[in-house]
Amino acid sequence: MKEERAVIRSLPSGVPGLDVVLGGGLPEYSFNLIAGGPGSGKTTLAHQIMFTNATVERPALYFTVLGEPTIKMLRYQRQFTFFNPDLAGSAIQFINLSAEVMDQDLGEVLKRIISEIERAKPGIVVVDSFRSIGGQHGSSERGATFDLDRFVQRLALHLTTWEVTSFLLGEYTEEEQRNPVFTVADGILWLSQATDRNSVVRRLQVIKTRGRAQMPGLHTIRITNAGLQIYPRIPEQTRKRALPKRERLSTGVPGMDEMLGGGVIAGDAVMLTGPAGSGKSTVATQFMVAGLAKGETGVIAVFEEYPEEYVARADARNSEVGRMIKAGKLEVIYLRPLDLSVDETLQAILEAVERVGAKRVVIDSLSGFEVALAPTFRADFRESLYRLVGALTASGVTVFTTAEVSEAFSEARFTTEKVSFITDEIIIQRYVEMEGELKRVMAVIKMRGSNHSHEFRLYDVSAKGVVVGDSLTEYDGIITGVPTLRAKPTRIKRST
Amino acid sequence: MNTSDRAKETPSGKQSPPREIARRLISSRRSERKAGETPARAAAAACDTLYRELSRWVGPDGCHALFTRALADTRTEYPALAQIQLRARSEPYIDGVAETIMAHGDPATAEALESMLVRLVELLGRLIGDDMAVKLIERSLASSERGDAPPDDRREEA
Repeated sequence: MKEERAVIRSLPSGVPGLDVVLGGGLPEYSFNLIAGGPGSGKTTLAHQIMFTNATVERPALYFTVLGEPTIKMLRYQRQFTFFNPDLAGSAIQFINLSAEVMDQDLGEVLKRIISEIERAKPGIVVVDSFRSIGGQHGSSERGATFDLDRFVQRLALHLTTWEVTSFLLGEYTEEEQRNPVFTVADGILWLSQATDRNSVVRRLQVIKTRGRAQMPGLHTIRITNAGLQIYPRIPEQTRKRALPKRERLSTGVPGMDEMLGGGVIAGDAVMLTGPAGSGKSTVATQFMVAGLAKGETGVIAVFEEYPEEYVARADARNSEVGRMIKAGKLEVIYLRPLDLSVDETLQAILEAVERVGAKRVVIDSLSGFEVALAPTFRADFRESLYRLVGALTASGVTVFTTAEVSEAFSEARFTTEKVSFITDEIIIQRYVEMEGELKRVMAVIKMRGSNHSHEFRLYDVSAKGVVVGDSLTEYDGIITGVPTLRAKPTRIKRST
Repeated sequence: MNTSDRAKETPSGKQSPPREIARRLISSRRSERKAGETPARAAAAACDTLYRELSRWVGPDGCHALFTRALADTRTEYPALAQIQLRARSEPYIDGVAETIMAHGDPATAEALESMLVRLVELLGRLIGDDMAVKLIERSLASSERGDAPPDDRREEA
């Protein structure tokens, strides 16, 4: 006999990003628990799922128990753009169980739920808050706990038999995972809200989805007037890296391509580090403009200044950045607001890359990016940046990042050691004192799989941008910041 | 806005939506009950029905809170409601109807109870939006007419 597996269809959650995390969507007829503390977004999540899936033929029943009064819940929920009042009363029916819960036993609660299911033949059932039922009847007394066990078992059975996809909402703590509902549930979505210093971050974890390979880890949640949005973590190892063509891309900085053995390697992650005022943003803009001049498209993510200022400054050097934005060739995204997660940042950049079909991405700067993150995420900055850069370069995009390094005059810091491992190419800039003047020098210190110049070279930042100048082969001790001229100066003139 | 503002007929002569739905509620009660039902008793029965049906959606406590506020607001304009009491989680929900009819007459009692219903619809609309309030009440009405809920036959004659 031919073996045929029952196909478990997936329902769309209606929550951007959640279906990816769930491994394709909500398994049809599954019995799910949405757990989390107050204010973590449980009720809103359930409403989004209902409004996405409910129809007049297969309505959604929303059982309210104790807790947030139904009128208040409706008042607040209808502020979200997904809330379609036309569906209320027909495709979405609200039923209050407080009388049964307060006055009667679990058997009566179950009876009422089943009778409403038989009447309405729903596709979706939500019980909010299931904890109220457990709290009323699930005390530590042995008999009461046994009742709750049986209640959960029977409820799950009935809901599945009636081909209902169900969601029980409850305020549970991690210590309460021995509650019978955790055992019976096919899926458990855990929402949390963490406060770190003065920032608050909401996150979602899919603890369990039977029959599905969900995306592990904690995923950031943002609640806007459109409802919940999930920002999935994108583990680098799940993405196939596009085979690099090893094509050289011009940096647009006269003399710099020569230092890089012909230019930046396409699909690489490049990091330019230097102290404040050394011209990092200028080089980054020149890199982008060089691509635009070749007909490429790009995205610039700015963290340290407003896009208008960034564009005005770039255009003052005749970069035509403003014109390229208008032409849809370039997008400048502003990611300054604090309390961002890396996942949100990644999503914003990836969406922009998708929109313009970008081949080059500039992140200016990593230092600003780190500060823009909520404190909770700063501890994971390295790992997060690894995912961010990995996700971009995996799709063939060349990523140019800048990072500020503070430098004592007597020592050179090549990079921010925290993040240098994510890059394929590292260029450093620094100040040196020469002939009684403060001068700028740059050097290429790392290029994976390619020869490159090992010289320190002077450079200028003019109104037209950065221009690389002479090599300083006649000097020693450049790295100290106070080079000394050898006996016979043999400055080599370079054509630029 | 006071109770009567929205309750009055619109300049075009059309009833306001809350007034219209209140009257529909009352007339549906009249048609279901015995012939010779007085307007005041039909209005009280409509309140009972709405309390029971709306409680299914928003819970008996939420529904009772709405009725309590509606009654308090309407009493300022209709002294006939002074003797009307609301009995939460009871059937009938509206108490003191017979005494009110005796004291003020059937038409005045009916008008006052209808205005209380109008006020309730308005209040619900202010909280969750007029469109959804009307929908929920219409749904309650339909559910009652279909007989999803137990019949409302517990109101005794005065």
